[in-house]
Amino acid sequence: MVQQVGAVLVVVMALGGCATEKTSGEQLARVAKDWSLSIRASQVIPVYPLTEDVQPGDVFLVQTPVEEQVKIYLDKGFLPLENLLTRLPVTGYAELYRGWPKVGDGEAAPPRQWQFPSPDATEPDFSRAPLAAFPTYNFSVSRSTGLSVAIPVQSVPVGLNLLDSASANGTITLKDAYTYAVPARRTYDAILNWSRANIDYLEQFEPAGATQDGKSITKEFYLRVINRVYLVKTVDVSLFSNRGFGAAGSAGVPQPVQLLNIANASDAAKQFDAINQILAKAASPAGASAGDASAASIVGEAPAPVAVGGSVKLAMATSRSVSFVETFHRPLVIGYLASDYAILKGGRLATPVPTLNMLEGRPIPTTRAITYQGCDANCLQIRGWRKVAGNQAKLEDWLKAQGEAISISDLETGDHADLRRRVVKELIEGSN
Amino acid sequence: MALQPPSPQTNVPRDDTGNVVDAMLLDTRVKWIAVVFEATVGGVDRFTVTPYVDDPTTGG
Repeated sequence: MVQQVGAVLVVVMALGGCATEKTSGEQLARVAKDWSLSIRASQVIPVYPLTEDVQPGDVFLVQTPVEEQVKIYLDKGFLPLENLLTRLPVTGYAELYRGWPKVGDGEAAPPRQWQFPSPDATEPDFSRAPLAAFPTYNFSVSRSTGLSVAIPVQSVPVGLNLLDSASANGTITLKDAYTYAVPARRTYDAILNWSRANIDYLEQFEPAGATQDGKSITKEFYLRVINRVYLVKTVDVSLFSNRGFGAAGSAGVPQPVQLLNIANASDAAKQFDAINQILAKAASPAGASAGDASAASIVGEAPAPVAVGGSVKLAMATSRSVSFVETFHRPLVIGYLASDYAILKGGRLATPVPTLNMLEGRPIPTTRAITYQGCDANCLQIRGWRKVAGNQAKLEDWLKAQGEAISISDLETGDHADLRRRVVKELIEGSN
Repeated sequence: MALQPPSPQTNVPRDDTGNVVDAMLLDTRVKWIAVVFEATVGGVDRFTVTPYVDDPTTGG
């Protein structure tokens, strides 16, 4: 029994050093992408790494052009959440969650009352938070690629080592998922108020011309305002080995651990407890010192602590499969929905566009609608004149010099009679 | 600095829809335009003309 526990300890502890040594930037990027693709399939924009410090009303400055953002989103699977500008003092929870217990504005605004139910509470209580559910995701994992596990939970490398398998298929279930939101209309009001107070700051991000790959482009910047977040507290991971045990056993090499031998239920139960004790010690800071000392005495060397994100517990094991339950101390945000506001000339904000629409290439109206005013005499004159070679460029240059820089179609049939009159006078008649 | 993209226009009469579309397409960023029937007012069909900078059929 002691030998078996020692063997378990070796494989569990080995993964810490092994994963650290073999982890390359490329592998980490793959972890991020595969995880994010799974979350994206649920029509949620993934957060990576997982964090609890994202909430509705958070405003991020997006400095990447739209085209580049789409490219990054498709390549990496997620958008880095950098440049947090502010956390808007949004209201609207009381209105949106009318009748929902203990949800309101001010001190009752989520998620604080769930994270910290009372000032001296040490345990979170999300039992009253709105529930969410995600489908089960499948994945494949291979040790030959350096434990490049496609999900950001630690159970997978642990499980792979316990299975003593070079490759495995697995499923991941996001349990205890929650969501909450603030009405987009309220974030709209809040961001407009904030932008007016910070217009000098935003002005430096107004659209600017630039050259990229020899082409003239317009660099545009956005404010991304979070409207809804999704959180997860518990992750279930099941791994199924792609082959049986004992393929490469030899003298001096620890034999695979028989995790659950029904013929010897007593030993199986002890092994279960032993593994969970090891995992619990590895997951806690105290365990990394005191626990490792006792563990080291068993195997005769000082093992590296296992870096786990939450508490990992072995839930079930057979000769070809293991299941773990990984629980975070408090639920972490795994994804969000947001609105993007383009920063216009002078630091003004454009109409909001759902971030997901933009990233997924769904149709986005260019700006807000205007009412067709008819084509008056000046409009007719402009239409005929701009069709002459070279005149369209002249008209565009003239419009750019007018501050607002409206489009030609807006000029011709929008509410711009004075501007049309000036075009006719200064450009058309002036050139004759 | 580029001009602002063309705005969607509502209440466009049938006989001027082509000209409005033509003016919107002067902006090379516009990839796709939706013409949606609104109503018939006084015997004249009215449309909403909406330009898009992304092609919804390809996402690009």
